[in-house]
Amino acid sequence: MTSAGFIATDTDTITVGFGTCGIASGAADIYSLFTRQVESQGLPITIRKTGCAGLCHREPMIELKDKQGHTLTVGDLTPKRALTFIQDHVLEGKPISAKLLVDPEIAGSPAAQYLNKQQRLVLANCGVIDPENIDEYLAAGGYVALRKVLETNDPEWVIDTIKRSGLRGRGGAGFPTGLKWRFIRDNPTPDTKYLICNADEGDPGAFMDRSVLESDPHAVLEGMAIAAFAMGHCYEAIIYCRAEYPLALDRLRLAIKQATERGFLGDNILGTGMKLKVSLKEGAGAFVCGEETALIASIQGERGMPRLRPPYPAASGLWNRPTNINNVETFANVPHIINRGADAYAAIGTEKSKGTKVFAIAGNVKRGGLVEVPMGTSLREVIEDIAGGSSSGYPIKAAQLGGPSGGCVPASLFDTPVGYEELLSTGAIMGSGGMVVMDETACMIDIARFFLKFTQDESCGKCTFCRVGTRRMLEILERISTGHAALADLDLLEILAQQIRTTALCGLGQTAPNPVLTTLKYFRPEYEAHISERKCPAGKCRELTRFQITEACNGCDLCAHNCPVGAIVGDKKQRHSIDQEKCTVCGVCRDVCKPQAVAVA
Amino acid sequence: MTSEKMIPCVLDGENCEFPEGTTILSAARTRGIEIPTLCEHKELKPFSSCLLCVVELEGKANLVSSCATPLMAGMKIKTRSDRVVQARKMALDLLVSDHWGDCAPPCRNACPGGVQIRGFVGDLAAGHDRAAIERIKQELPIPASLGRVCPRPCEDACRRNLKEGPVNVCHLKRFAADLDLASQNPYVPSKQPASGRSVAVVGIGPGGISCAYHLLRWGHDVTLFDAHEKPGGMLRYGIPSYRLPRDVIDGEVKILEQLGAKFKYSTALGRDVTLKELRGDYDAVFLAIGAQNATQMGVPGEDLPGVASGIQFLEEVTTEKRTRMGRRIAVVGGGNTAIDAARTALRLGAEAVTILYRRTRKEMPAWEVEVDEAEHEGCKLEMLAAPVKIEKLASGLKVTCIRMELGQPDASGRRRPVPKTGSEYVLEFDDVIAAIGQSVNTQSLGESGLELTRWGTLVVNKTTLQSSLSDVFAGGDCVLGPDIAVRAVGMGRQAACSIDQFVRGQEVRGEPQRFNSVMGSLKDIPESFFKSQPHAARNVMPVISDERRVSTFDEVESGLPESAARAEAGRCLQCGCGAAEDCALRDYATEYGASQTLFCGAKRREFEIDDTHPLVRFETGKCIQCGTCVRLLNEKYSDYSLGFANRGFTACIKPPFGQSLGQVLKDPERSQAIVNACPTGALLRNANAT
Repeated sequence: MTSAGFIATDTDTITVGFGTCGIASGAADIYSLFTRQVESQGLPITIRKTGCAGLCHREPMIELKDKQGHTLTVGDLTPKRALTFIQDHVLEGKPISAKLLVDPEIAGSPAAQYLNKQQRLVLANCGVIDPENIDEYLAAGGYVALRKVLETNDPEWVIDTIKRSGLRGRGGAGFPTGLKWRFIRDNPTPDTKYLICNADEGDPGAFMDRSVLESDPHAVLEGMAIAAFAMGHCYEAIIYCRAEYPLALDRLRLAIKQATERGFLGDNILGTGMKLKVSLKEGAGAFVCGEETALIASIQGERGMPRLRPPYPAASGLWNRPTNINNVETFANVPHIINRGADAYAAIGTEKSKGTKVFAIAGNVKRGGLVEVPMGTSLREVIEDIAGGSSSGYPIKAAQLGGPSGGCVPASLFDTPVGYEELLSTGAIMGSGGMVVMDETACMIDIARFFLKFTQDESCGKCTFCRVGTRRMLEILERISTGHAALADLDLLEILAQQIRTTALCGLGQTAPNPVLTTLKYFRPEYEAHISERKCPAGKCRELTRFQITEACNGCDLCAHNCPVGAIVGDKKQRHSIDQEKCTVCGVCRDVCKPQAVAVA
Repeated sequence: MTSEKMIPCVLDGENCEFPEGTTILSAARTRGIEIPTLCEHKELKPFSSCLLCVVELEGKANLVSSCATPLMAGMKIKTRSDRVVQARKMALDLLVSDHWGDCAPPCRNACPGGVQIRGFVGDLAAGHDRAAIERIKQELPIPASLGRVCPRPCEDACRRNLKEGPVNVCHLKRFAADLDLASQNPYVPSKQPASGRSVAVVGIGPGGISCAYHLLRWGHDVTLFDAHEKPGGMLRYGIPSYRLPRDVIDGEVKILEQLGAKFKYSTALGRDVTLKELRGDYDAVFLAIGAQNATQMGVPGEDLPGVASGIQFLEEVTTEKRTRMGRRIAVVGGGNTAIDAARTALRLGAEAVTILYRRTRKEMPAWEVEVDEAEHEGCKLEMLAAPVKIEKLASGLKVTCIRMELGQPDASGRRRPVPKTGSEYVLEFDDVIAAIGQSVNTQSLGESGLELTRWGTLVVNKTTLQSSLSDVFAGGDCVLGPDIAVRAVGMGRQAACSIDQFVRGQEVRGEPQRFNSVMGSLKDIPESFFKSQPHAARNVMPVISDERRVSTFDEVESGLPESAARAEAGRCLQCGCGAAEDCALRDYATEYGASQTLFCGAKRREFEIDDTHPLVRFETGKCIQCGTCVRLLNEKYSDYSLGFANRGFTACIKPPFGQSLGQVLKDPERSQAIVNACPTGALLRNANAT
């Protein structure tokens, strides 16, 4: 990031953020504009790419580095700014607007708030190295852990180290990784064992794994090679990644090729004779294929449908062989543990949850993006300090953790520390790290319905409870949000949700009711208001909402200007009013109103 | 001897051990413990989709599927705890909420008598007339009578209503019954061994006849009592002979004699025999005494000579006490009795018959066809009129009427008639027949202690028809108030079930009810239901000439000719499920009390019938996604004619690449195998198969 002593006119490298977030914000244009300027003017400046630095809300973002190694990070670039950037700032040395700087060393700056409470372990290389260049990974200490493991040549030591580190599965369930490796190593079969990296990240709003794969693919490969060594009899590994992640797939493909060429993968790894072939399997994007037995079925060319466990994959997995499945982030942690030692790693976090956790923050917060915090950090620190709290001015109401399988944690419980058991006690789950923050204009029934609709659509349809049960839950929610429900429906909803939670065949079904159960637990009066008063207190459910303009109106006319149906009238500087006949309850007036004068009647 | 490793566990509190690898389900079966399952198949690997087989493991929060879970040492398994039963019921509630199929056909569901309509119509279409009458008489002892007078709720439910009009079920029933009655040896069902129990049935109308019929079949000794001289109750004394000839009733009641019933005619309850005596002399009593008291109009002059009640009038005509009429007749009321009285008056020579009704034609409770017939024969309908006073004139009766208008709907849902002040007007008649309602003659019951409703009907348990006196059961109009004959017949059979249980010393639970999936009312039926059904117009009943109709008491409807009857029977769509009697889903839904209406407004999957295969018919709406067919084809035959498709609620089983079953599944053995393996009626033997 930015460091003191940076001299713009000494710049010799410009690095453009080239994660999916950067590309989506226009990084490719910025990159080519810079390249063209440098080439046309024959400047001695290197233009390079890197992955996501986690500040997705500041993309497109670049980092300048001078000859002395001092750096300066600039965000919120536009093609217009980029066009004159080199001329103005690099050649002529004009000062860069402080608003564009991303400088965590300026106390109290947004970048400082965003970055200083984070501890970047998994994301250490992200946004720093060029993911398409293995040398940059090596220069950052890459494959040192693998070398150390192979030199030590003691799988028991590896497993013991991982066990003592306290690393738990980052895919969501939090099973101790060392124990999993222990089981698979202890499987006495003389047959080949398989290793699978679960990169089927599918929760709406979650992009931790994608960023890691895009920004630091070798870390995952290194973790996999170490795991394969620890398992024994493992010569083949498969990364199961959804086809919707084209950049991640491209970079993985390249990284596998480079790592194989350099002897970190392949037939004779680092000259030790260890063999490991890593291949990619592109998934078609079915959410259920993140469930390990469905994932295995999918790799085998079968329909992605879970089966009952036991047998667990460690006993009988891919092609009925013992199989170890870990998540992307879990693998990415492994080289750090080997390098730092189990004790140093275990010193981070809480008693039962060790290390860091990456979250993808989205929703009504000032700063969305990727955040990596030590376990034990409170949700409040993550949401209010790091992400900067509400972006709309309305108070924050709740956060949905763990995607559609997770739960809705109310703001009153934001002191809960990040940790597997701690989050589970709220009814949510750690999950893979999705965090959607909602302000008071969010209706909890609407939220529950959104997530349930997702799991309902993504159910494989195998078991009765998931296929039909979640559908019936959704119908009840739809009745509630349109004012056609009775109070007895709440009881039916709850009974059905509990039944699905304890009886559905796989994790998808068992967790699908979580958004409903947690919102029912923490926001029951909101459900009851929909039914008994036929009113949506948050003003989201159209059939049950009427907006009105309160005395706080300053007559700015912004609402009337933005109303798509011309339902708002009022003289300048006078209190406006809404024609209820015309109003379609879209909520635009409320979104644009500065003095928050649009309220639910 | 193999030395298998044995796994100890606790199954429903019993210590036991099984070879390693045994699933919970097979262990339970070995111990004689029944665990329901719809997706388990002995030749296939476990699948765990229906989740009916869940059991509880002590110390585990989640229930587990027993078909796929192997026993592990120390497992404590509960196969029938409250949690388990609740989960199974919920699984079934969910499955049936998405089950777009009928167990019984809609006609049978609609028939209060529970007649096996699809079955007997199919028999007639195939020319199996004897089979048809045998099937009808499983439920209904008097089909020739009901085949003439039933207002046919079955036909309202008939799916052909969505096409050319319903199947003429009622007249087909008459066709079968008339053939039987006219034959040398009309059908008489066999009897079970004598039970040694005796039952008194009071009232030889449709309810009493039905109850006696079933009790006799089941081996009980039955004595029937009636105040009249002849059998039939309201069928004889309330319905004119031009609709129901008396020899038909007499012919049909013979079946009771053949089954050994004893008859005591002209024996009125309360007058000639008391309920107390009957209770002392018999093991149980069935009261089917009807609602034979006429309701009074409550207007001055209603006791004048020339004013009579509808049922009194009809009875007098039946018993030939009355053979002539005045010239100008008023009939007050809008029910079937009013219409019967009006049409009867015409036949007795009345020149002008006016029906006075206080609401409009739309609100008339009489069967619409009968109203049409009355008008056709010349009766005049005077709507929104009510008599307020009757006075004697030298030339006849002066009836002062008042005009009514319709106000707010009342408890019956019909708009309440309100008199218009000052709208009185005067009409003149020779006779006035008041047919405005009937009530139960409760005096005949004496001081029996029977509980009555505030309308003076008998209070009975709705399921068992048992009254407040445990040995007294009741049904028909004396419970319902004036109602249709077929409902009384149905209640007679229901009561017979309860009485059978009662006299045998069993718990009285009434007629066993099986789970019955319904596709819904006519508006819920998808167009694809009628796929490959050719147009076929309804065959109607021929009638005698208008001149004969108004001048004689000859039967108006002369009966369907055989060719028309066969054609009509062929119109039946054979709704209902071919697997209804062999359906695991239905059996479990019955056992666990599943409800198809727990989730109101539940969306169902797309409905399709694939009948392209010569041997297999695939009704997708009934598929429960157990995948047995898919797995059987895949695992046993390496055949991929069927597979899973789609996700979520739309997940389904179908042939690949949009093909039909007929295009992909070629092997007859496999076809038969999947039909046999389907636990519901989703895969059936194609009815067209030879």
